[in-house]
Amino acid sequence: MASTFIQSLDPRVTRLQMPEDINQQPLQSEALDQLVTFQVFMQKKEGKNFEHAGIVHAPTVELALLYAKEQYSRRFTCSGMAVAETSTVMASPYTDGGISVYQLLEGEAEATTATADVYEVFHLMKRGKQHEHAGSVEANSVEDAFYKAKESLMPEKPVLNIWLIRRDDLLTVDEEDKDIWNTLPEKGYRDAAAYKAGDKLKDFKEKNEATSSH
Amino acid sequence: MNTDALKELLYKIADDQLILGHRNSEWTGVGPLLEEDIAFSSMAQDKVGQSYQLYQMLHQMGEQEPDTVAFMRNANQFHNSQFVELPVGEYDFSLIRHFLFDHAELIRFSMLSQSSYEPLAQLARKIKGELKYHVMHANSIIKQLGNATEESISRLQKSLEGALPYALGLFEPSPFEEALKEGGIFEGETALQAKWEESIRKIVEQTALQLPDLKTLTPVYGGRSGVHTEHLQPLLDEMAEVFRVDPTAEW
Repeated sequence: MASTFIQSLDPRVTRLQMPEDINQQPLQSEALDQLVTFQVFMQKKEGKNFEHAGIVHAPTVELALLYAKEQYSRRFTCSGMAVAETSTVMASPYTDGGISVYQLLEGEAEATTATADVYEVFHLMKRGKQHEHAGSVEANSVEDAFYKAKESLMPEKPVLNIWLIRRDDLLTVDEEDKDIWNTLPEKGYRDAAAYKAGDKLKDFKEKNEATSSH
Repeated sequence: MNTDALKELLYKIADDQLILGHRNSEWTGVGPLLEEDIAFSSMAQDKVGQSYQLYQMLHQMGEQEPDTVAFMRNANQFHNSQFVELPVGEYDFSLIRHFLFDHAELIRFSMLSQSSYEPLAQLARKIKGELKYHVMHANSIIKQLGNATEESISRLQKSLEGALPYALGLFEPSPFEEALKEGGIFEGETALQAKWEESIRKIVEQTALQLPDLKTLTPVYGGRSGVHTEHLQPLLDEMAEVFRVDPTAEW
């Protein structure tokens, strides 16, 4: 047992009274809560398509949506957001070399029945870019949704990867709560703009060179 | 317009935001999960940003610069409620304070969006989205933990009971209540408290938590007239540390 606590220049850290050997203590992995992940889609401006923004961990889908807002839009303006648990995202295989995923699909869409679900379709058009919302289709099954998307949403350019998510699995901000996107536009205090790390690094290097040349 | 009344109102709102914003930022880097840490820190920044807007408004009315007002006053010159200066405690207390405070804040600013003092009404409309998000966050997490496990429920219950007398101190009547009402600047603390009670009750009823009879509680007053706990001065010293070393520093 450590008898002394970590002393830090940051008083908040000192107040935590962490044992000095905390980094040597093994992690109790069974005690770590493993939360599921959610995929976040963001609309930067009214009228623009939703785009994949990233991932959040959360205990519930409601909290995932709230966390997503601060995670992905606290420094920017944003007009809409949607989240879906990762396990509900159905992904196609990836293609390369100018081949569209849609070309790999052989078969015909079925006639939709009364129990059909609405699926939101996201396309990846370029490696390194984000999946972007392309539209929605009504289909009896996931497989069928891929065929439906091929019929109605296939662009001329090759699609490298497709994600399908049932609309019921996506949570978005309610119409009445859309005013949460009205925030103070001056967010300068969120950036460490006055902290010129580049200048400090340059000074440090110059100083080092000056001393080593002597 | 009664300038003294208006200034008193602006100072107490801004001081509440600044002190709670600073307090809540103490969770930065040590929050219970990364996403919650980011959200809680971001809301703390919102509060500091909002207080800055109010200090600017006060500056335009002849008060000192925002930085001077924020960093150079002593504890007895602050008008924040004692509620916001209490230490962050365990996360259950910080969440309960967030819930109780932000419900009051959202209602206060929606009342102020009708204020006869136009700059204040404008600001209230501008930050409504931020405040609404704070309340949505508080409600979601209180509903989640307030129905989760025996431990989470009993911790929140204990914090709720400890926090409520201080939370009632948010509504400490001002010597200018009548002047503010007559001038159409603000409907007053009594009206705000009534709406707040209804608003928090609606959420608490959806959890396993019990809201005590608020009439049996003695509100902790004093903060509005500069009477504070021993916790405020150390917070101010810490907050102003850089400014006092170098008032021209930018960071």
